[in-house]
Amino acid sequence: MRFQDAARDARAVVYAGIQADPLVARLAALLAAATPAERWMARAAMNGERTDAATWRRMFPALFGEEPAAELRDHAERLLGASLEVANRGEQARSSYRGAVVEELTAQLLARRGGVVKRERRVLFDGVPAEIHPYDVTVESPSRPEVYDCKWGARGINADVLNQLDDARTHAADEEIEITVALVVFDARRSAEIRLDRSSAPRDGTRLVVLENIDELGVAHP
Amino acid sequence: MNDRAELVDNAAAAYRALADLAETIEDEWQYVTDLTDAYLSAIEALAGTGAPLPAGAGDAVGEAIAEIGLITDPHRAIDWLSTFPHVVALALGGDVDGEPVR
Repeated sequence: MRFQDAARDARAVVYAGIQADPLVARLAALLAAATPAERWMARAAMNGERTDAATWRRMFPALFGEEPAAELRDHAERLLGASLEVANRGEQARSSYRGAVVEELTAQLLARRGGVVKRERRVLFDGVPAEIHPYDVTVESPSRPEVYDCKWGARGINADVLNQLDDARTHAADEEIEITVALVVFDARRSAEIRLDRSSAPRDGTRLVVLENIDELGVAHP
Repeated sequence: MNDRAELVDNAAAAYRALADLAETIEDEWQYVTDLTDAYLSAIEALAGTGAPLPAGAGDAVGEAIAEIGLITDPHRAIDWLSTFPHVVALALGGDVDGEPVR
Protein backbone atom coordinates (compact mmCIF):
# COMPACT_ATOMS: atom_id res chain seq x y z
CA MET A 1 0.00 0.00 0.00
CA ARG A 2 1.25 3.50 -0.75
CA PHE A 3 -0.02 7.06 -0.94
CA GLN A 4 0.18 9.22 -4.04
CA ASP A 5 -0.73 12.81 -4.94
CA ALA A 6 -3.95 12.97 -6.93
CA ALA A 7 -3.74 14.17 -10.52
CA ARG A 8 -5.42 17.58 -10.87
CA ASP A 9 -8.08 18.19 -13.47
CA ALA A 10 -9.46 21.68 -14.15
CA ARG A 11 -12.06 21.41 -11.39
CA ALA A 12 -9.43 20.30 -8.88
CA VAL A 13 -7.25 23.27 -9.80
CA VAL A 14 -10.12 25.66 -9.09
CA TYR A 15 -10.88 23.92 -5.81
CA ALA A 16 -7.20 24.04 -4.85
CA GLY A 17 -7.45 27.82 -5.13
CA ILE A 18 -10.28 27.81 -2.60
CA GLN A 19 -8.40 25.46 -0.30
CA ALA A 20 -5.45 27.84 -0.40
CA ASP A 21 -7.53 30.93 0.46
CA PRO A 22 -6.27 32.20 3.86
CA LEU A 23 -9.91 32.55 4.94
CA VAL A 24 -10.23 28.75 4.96
CA ALA A 25 -7.27 28.22 7.29
CA ARG A 26 -8.33 31.13 9.54
CA LEU A 27 -11.89 29.84 9.84
CA ALA A 28 -10.71 26.29 10.48
CA ALA A 29 -8.38 27.49 13.23
CA LEU A 30 -11.26 29.37 14.88
CA LEU A 31 -13.47 26.26 14.61
CA ALA A 32 -10.74 24.06 16.05
CA ALA A 33 -10.75 26.23 19.18
CA ALA A 34 -14.54 26.68 19.27
CA THR A 35 -17.16 25.41 21.70
CA PRO A 36 -19.95 23.15 20.38
CA ALA A 37 -22.36 26.09 20.51
CA GLU A 38 -19.98 28.23 18.47
CA ARG A 39 -19.69 25.46 15.87
CA TRP A 40 -23.48 25.37 15.51
CA MET A 41 -23.49 29.14 15.15
CA ALA A 42 -20.85 28.92 12.41
CA ARG A 43 -22.77 26.16 10.62
CA ALA A 44 -25.96 28.22 10.77
CA ALA A 45 -24.28 31.43 9.57
CA MET A 46 -22.52 29.66 6.69
CA ASN A 47 -25.88 28.10 5.71
CA GLY A 48 -27.76 31.35 6.23
CA GLU A 49 -29.77 33.68 4.04
CA ARG A 50 -28.91 36.85 5.94
CA THR A 51 -25.36 38.11 6.26
CA ASP A 52 -25.67 40.95 8.78
CA ALA A 53 -23.86 40.12 12.00
CA ALA A 54 -26.51 41.69 14.25
CA THR A 55 -29.08 39.09 13.19
CA TRP A 56 -26.79 36.24 14.17
CA ARG A 57 -25.84 37.86 17.46
CA ARG A 58 -29.52 38.02 18.40
CA MET A 59 -29.96 34.37 17.37
CA PHE A 60 -27.20 33.21 19.74
CA PRO A 61 -27.56 35.14 23.01
CA ALA A 62 -25.53 32.51 24.87
CA LEU A 63 -22.52 33.56 22.78
CA PHE A 64 -23.12 37.28 22.29
CA GLY A 65 -25.26 38.34 25.26
CA GLU A 66 -24.05 39.76 28.55
CA GLU A 67 -23.51 36.39 30.19
CA PRO A 68 -20.48 34.96 28.32
CA ALA A 69 -16.99 36.02 29.34
CA ALA A 70 -15.31 38.64 27.18
CA GLU A 71 -12.84 36.07 25.85
CA LEU A 72 -15.62 33.77 24.57
CA ARG A 73 -17.55 36.70 23.14
CA ASP A 74 -14.46 37.91 21.29
CA HIS A 75 -13.79 34.44 19.87
CA ALA A 76 -17.41 34.06 18.84
CA GLU A 77 -17.26 37.45 17.12
CA ARG A 78 -14.22 36.46 15.10
CA LEU A 79 -15.80 33.13 14.19
CA LEU A 80 -19.04 34.83 13.16
CA GLY A 81 -17.14 37.35 11.05
CA ALA A 82 -15.21 34.62 9.22
CA SER A 83 -18.37 32.53 8.74
CA LEU A 84 -20.16 35.49 7.20
CA GLU A 85 -17.21 36.05 4.86
CA VAL A 86 -17.93 32.55 3.53
CA ALA A 87 -21.67 33.23 3.36
CA ASN A 88 -20.94 36.37 1.36
CA ARG A 89 -19.05 34.47 -1.32
CA GLY A 90 -22.28 33.59 -3.13
CA GLU A 91 -24.19 30.37 -3.36
CA GLN A 92 -21.87 28.31 -5.58
CA ALA A 93 -18.63 29.42 -3.99
CA ARG A 94 -19.88 29.07 -0.43
CA SER A 95 -20.59 25.39 -0.98
CA SER A 96 -16.98 24.79 -2.03
CA TYR A 97 -15.69 26.94 0.83
CA ARG A 98 -17.72 25.00 3.40
CA GLY A 99 -16.28 21.72 2.16
CA ALA A 100 -12.76 23.12 2.20
CA VAL A 101 -13.27 24.41 5.75
CA VAL A 102 -14.30 20.97 7.05
CA GLU A 103 -11.27 19.40 5.39
CA GLU A 104 -8.94 22.03 6.82
CA LEU A 105 -10.50 21.71 10.28
CA THR A 106 -9.97 17.94 10.11
CA ALA A 107 -6.34 18.41 9.06
CA GLN A 108 -5.67 20.97 11.81
CA LEU A 109 -7.17 18.77 14.52
CA LEU A 110 -5.24 15.71 13.30
CA ALA A 111 -2.03 17.76 13.23
CA ARG A 112 -2.32 18.24 16.99
CA ARG A 113 -1.14 14.65 17.31
CA GLY A 114 1.95 15.25 15.17
CA GLY A 115 2.68 13.00 12.21
CA VAL A 116 2.36 13.55 8.50
CA VAL A 117 -1.05 14.99 7.58
CA LYS A 118 -1.67 15.42 3.85
CA ARG A 119 -4.48 16.45 1.53
CA GLU A 120 -6.00 15.11 -1.68
CA ARG A 121 -4.11 11.82 -1.71
CA ARG A 122 -4.92 8.54 -3.37
CA VAL A 123 -4.14 5.19 -1.83
CA LEU A 124 -2.71 2.50 -4.10
CA PHE A 125 -2.85 -1.21 -3.34
CA ASP A 126 -1.07 -4.05 -5.09
CA GLY A 127 -3.15 -5.46 -7.92
CA VAL A 128 -6.12 -3.17 -7.27
CA PRO A 129 -7.23 -0.48 -9.75
CA ALA A 130 -6.77 2.96 -8.20
CA GLU A 131 -9.83 4.83 -6.95
CA ILE A 132 -10.69 7.89 -9.01
CA HIS A 133 -11.41 10.15 -6.06
CA PRO A 134 -8.63 11.06 -3.66
CA TYR A 135 -9.14 11.07 0.10
CA ASP A 136 -9.62 14.54 1.55
CA VAL A 137 -7.16 14.10 4.41
CA THR A 138 -4.64 11.37 5.19
CA VAL A 139 -2.29 10.61 8.06
CA GLU A 140 0.55 8.70 6.47
CA SER A 141 1.95 6.77 9.36
CA PRO A 142 3.73 3.58 8.30
CA SER A 143 2.44 1.73 11.36
CA ARG A 144 -1.17 2.96 11.38
CA PRO A 145 -2.22 5.00 8.34
CA GLU A 146 -5.50 6.91 8.38
CA VAL A 147 -7.77 8.17 5.59
CA TYR A 148 -10.59 10.69 6.00
CA ASP A 149 -13.45 11.79 3.83
CA CYS A 150 -15.05 15.07 4.94
CA LYS A 151 -18.61 16.31 4.50
CA TRP A 152 -20.27 19.58 5.38
CA GLY A 153 -23.56 17.86 6.18
CA ALA A 154 -25.00 14.41 6.68
CA ARG A 155 -26.70 14.65 3.32
CA GLY A 156 -23.27 14.27 1.71
CA ILE A 157 -23.01 10.70 2.98
CA ASN A 158 -23.67 8.29 0.14
CA ALA A 159 -22.93 4.72 -0.91
CA ASP A 160 -19.93 5.71 -3.06
CA VAL A 161 -18.19 7.35 -0.13
CA LEU A 162 -18.91 4.47 2.23
CA ASN A 163 -17.81 1.87 -0.33
CA GLN A 164 -14.56 3.68 -1.06
CA LEU A 165 -13.69 3.93 2.63
CA ASP A 166 -14.54 0.28 3.24
CA ASP A 167 -12.60 -0.82 0.17
CA ALA A 168 -9.51 0.96 1.51
CA ARG A 169 -9.89 -0.87 4.80
CA THR A 170 -10.30 -4.31 3.24
CA HIS A 171 -7.52 -3.87 0.68
CA ALA A 172 -5.18 -2.70 3.44
CA ALA A 173 -6.16 -5.75 5.49
CA ASP A 174 -5.27 -7.93 2.50
CA GLU A 175 -1.76 -6.46 2.81
CA GLU A 176 -1.89 -7.01 6.59
CA ILE A 177 -2.01 -3.27 7.25
CA GLU A 178 -4.42 -1.88 9.80
CA ILE A 179 -5.76 1.38 8.45
CA THR A 180 -8.21 3.77 10.11
CA VAL A 181 -10.95 4.88 7.73
CA ALA A 182 -13.24 7.67 8.86
CA LEU A 183 -16.00 9.93 7.72
CA VAL A 184 -15.97 13.45 9.18
CA VAL A 185 -19.35 15.17 9.05
CA PHE A 186 -19.81 18.77 10.25
CA ASP A 187 -23.30 17.93 11.43
CA ALA A 188 -25.10 16.27 14.33
CA ARG A 189 -24.55 12.60 15.08
CA ARG A 190 -28.28 12.07 14.94
CA SER A 191 -28.49 13.43 11.38
CA ALA A 192 -25.56 11.31 10.24
CA GLU A 193 -26.96 8.16 11.82
CA ILE A 194 -30.37 8.76 10.26
CA ARG A 195 -28.62 9.05 6.90
CA LEU A 196 -26.54 5.93 7.52
CA ASP A 197 -29.50 3.88 8.71
CA ARG A 198 -31.02 3.99 5.21
CA SER A 199 -27.80 2.97 3.47
CA SER A 200 -26.96 -0.63 2.67
CA ALA A 201 -23.29 0.18 2.00
CA PRO A 202 -20.77 -1.29 4.45
CA ARG A 203 -19.89 0.99 7.35
CA ASP A 204 -19.10 -1.19 10.35
CA GLY A 205 -15.37 -0.59 9.93
CA THR A 206 -15.71 3.14 9.26
CA ARG A 207 -15.31 5.57 12.12
CA LEU A 208 -17.92 8.32 12.24
CA VAL A 209 -16.73 11.74 13.39
CA VAL A 210 -19.43 14.35 13.93
CA LEU A 211 -19.81 17.67 15.73
CA GLU A 212 -20.23 15.91 19.05
CA ASN A 213 -16.86 14.13 18.92
CA ILE A 214 -14.80 16.07 16.38
CA ASP A 215 -12.27 17.14 19.00
CA GLU A 216 -11.27 13.47 19.34
CA LEU A 217 -9.45 13.84 16.02
CA GLY A 218 -6.75 15.67 17.92
CA VAL A 219 -6.27 12.84 20.40
CA ALA A 220 -4.40 9.65 19.54
CA HIS A 221 -6.77 6.69 19.53
CA PRO A 222 -5.84 3.23 20.78
CA MET B 1 -49.99 28.83 26.92
CA ASN B 2 -46.79 30.03 28.64
CA ASP B 3 -43.94 31.84 26.89
CA ARG B 4 -41.83 28.72 26.47
CA ALA B 5 -44.71 26.67 25.09
CA GLU B 6 -45.63 29.45 22.68
CA LEU B 7 -42.05 29.77 21.39
CA VAL B 8 -41.82 26.01 20.93
CA ASP B 9 -45.17 25.95 19.18
CA ASN B 10 -44.03 28.66 16.76
CA ALA B 11 -40.71 26.89 16.17
CA ALA B 12 -42.44 23.59 15.47
CA ALA B 13 -44.79 25.22 12.96
CA ALA B 14 -41.85 26.86 11.18
CA TYR B 15 -39.99 23.55 11.15
CA ARG B 16 -42.97 21.79 9.54
CA ALA B 17 -43.00 24.42 6.79
CA LEU B 18 -39.25 23.96 6.29
CA ALA B 19 -39.76 20.21 5.98
CA ASP B 20 -42.53 20.72 3.45
CA LEU B 21 -40.12 22.72 1.29
CA ALA B 22 -37.30 20.18 1.72
CA GLU B 23 -39.62 17.32 0.76
CA THR B 24 -39.88 18.69 -2.76
CA ILE B 25 -36.48 17.12 -3.48
CA GLU B 26 -37.91 13.74 -4.41
CA ASP B 27 -34.61 11.83 -4.13
CA GLU B 28 -34.28 12.96 -0.53
CA TRP B 29 -37.85 12.38 0.57
CA GLN B 30 -37.00 9.48 2.89
CA TYR B 31 -34.10 11.31 4.53
CA VAL B 32 -36.18 14.45 4.99
CA THR B 33 -39.03 12.44 6.48
CA ASP B 34 -36.74 10.57 8.87
CA LEU B 35 -35.01 13.78 9.99
CA THR B 36 -38.29 15.58 10.46
CA ASP B 37 -39.79 12.75 12.49
CA ALA B 38 -36.79 12.78 14.80
CA TYR B 39 -36.33 16.49 15.26
CA LEU B 40 -39.92 17.70 15.28
CA SER B 41 -40.68 15.65 18.36
CA ALA B 42 -37.40 16.81 19.90
CA ILE B 43 -38.36 20.45 19.33
CA GLU B 44 -41.82 19.85 20.82
CA ALA B 45 -40.22 18.22 23.87
CA LEU B 46 -38.43 21.50 24.63
CA ALA B 47 -41.77 22.87 25.83
CA GLY B 48 -41.95 20.41 28.68
CA THR B 49 -38.83 21.28 30.62
CA GLY B 50 -40.52 23.94 32.72
CA ALA B 51 -37.21 25.74 33.08
CA PRO B 52 -37.24 29.54 32.99
CA LEU B 53 -36.41 31.03 29.61
CA PRO B 54 -32.80 32.19 29.26
CA ALA B 55 -32.22 35.87 28.50
CA GLY B 56 -32.79 36.67 24.85
CA ALA B 57 -34.54 33.38 24.10
CA GLY B 58 -37.61 34.98 22.56
CA ASP B 59 -35.60 37.14 20.15
CA ALA B 60 -33.30 34.24 19.33
CA VAL B 61 -36.10 31.85 18.42
CA GLY B 62 -37.84 34.63 16.53
CA GLU B 63 -34.70 35.28 14.45
CA ALA B 64 -34.24 31.56 13.78
CA ILE B 65 -37.84 31.29 12.59
CA ALA B 66 -37.40 34.38 10.43
CA GLU B 67 -34.23 32.93 8.94
CA ILE B 68 -35.78 29.66 7.80
CA GLY B 69 -38.83 31.59 6.61
CA LEU B 70 -36.58 33.27 4.03
CA ILE B 71 -35.48 30.00 2.49
CA THR B 72 -36.90 29.24 -0.94
CA ASP B 73 -34.32 26.71 -2.15
CA PRO B 74 -35.29 23.18 -1.04
CA HIS B 75 -31.63 22.12 -0.97
CA ARG B 76 -30.92 24.91 1.51
CA ALA B 77 -33.97 23.77 3.46
CA ILE B 78 -32.41 20.32 3.88
CA ASP B 79 -29.24 21.97 5.25
CA TRP B 80 -31.38 23.62 7.92
CA LEU B 81 -33.35 20.54 8.97
CA SER B 82 -30.66 19.55 11.45
CA THR B 83 -29.38 23.08 12.13
CA PHE B 84 -32.64 24.74 13.14
CA PRO B 85 -33.47 22.35 16.02
CA HIS B 86 -30.03 22.94 17.52
CA VAL B 87 -30.33 26.71 17.22
CA VAL B 88 -33.69 26.55 19.00
CA ALA B 89 -32.32 24.22 21.66
CA LEU B 90 -29.39 26.56 22.31
CA ALA B 91 -31.77 29.49 22.67
CA LEU B 92 -34.15 27.69 25.02
CA GLY B 93 -31.46 25.92 27.00
CA GLY B 94 -32.51 22.38 26.15
CA ASP B 95 -31.21 19.69 23.86
CA VAL B 96 -32.51 17.83 20.83
CA ASP B 97 -29.98 15.00 20.65
CA GLY B 98 -30.02 13.57 24.13
CA GLU B 99 -27.01 15.59 25.19
CA PRO B 100 -26.92 19.32 25.92
CA VAL B 101 -24.97 21.65 23.63
CA ARG B 102 -22.92 24.24 25.50
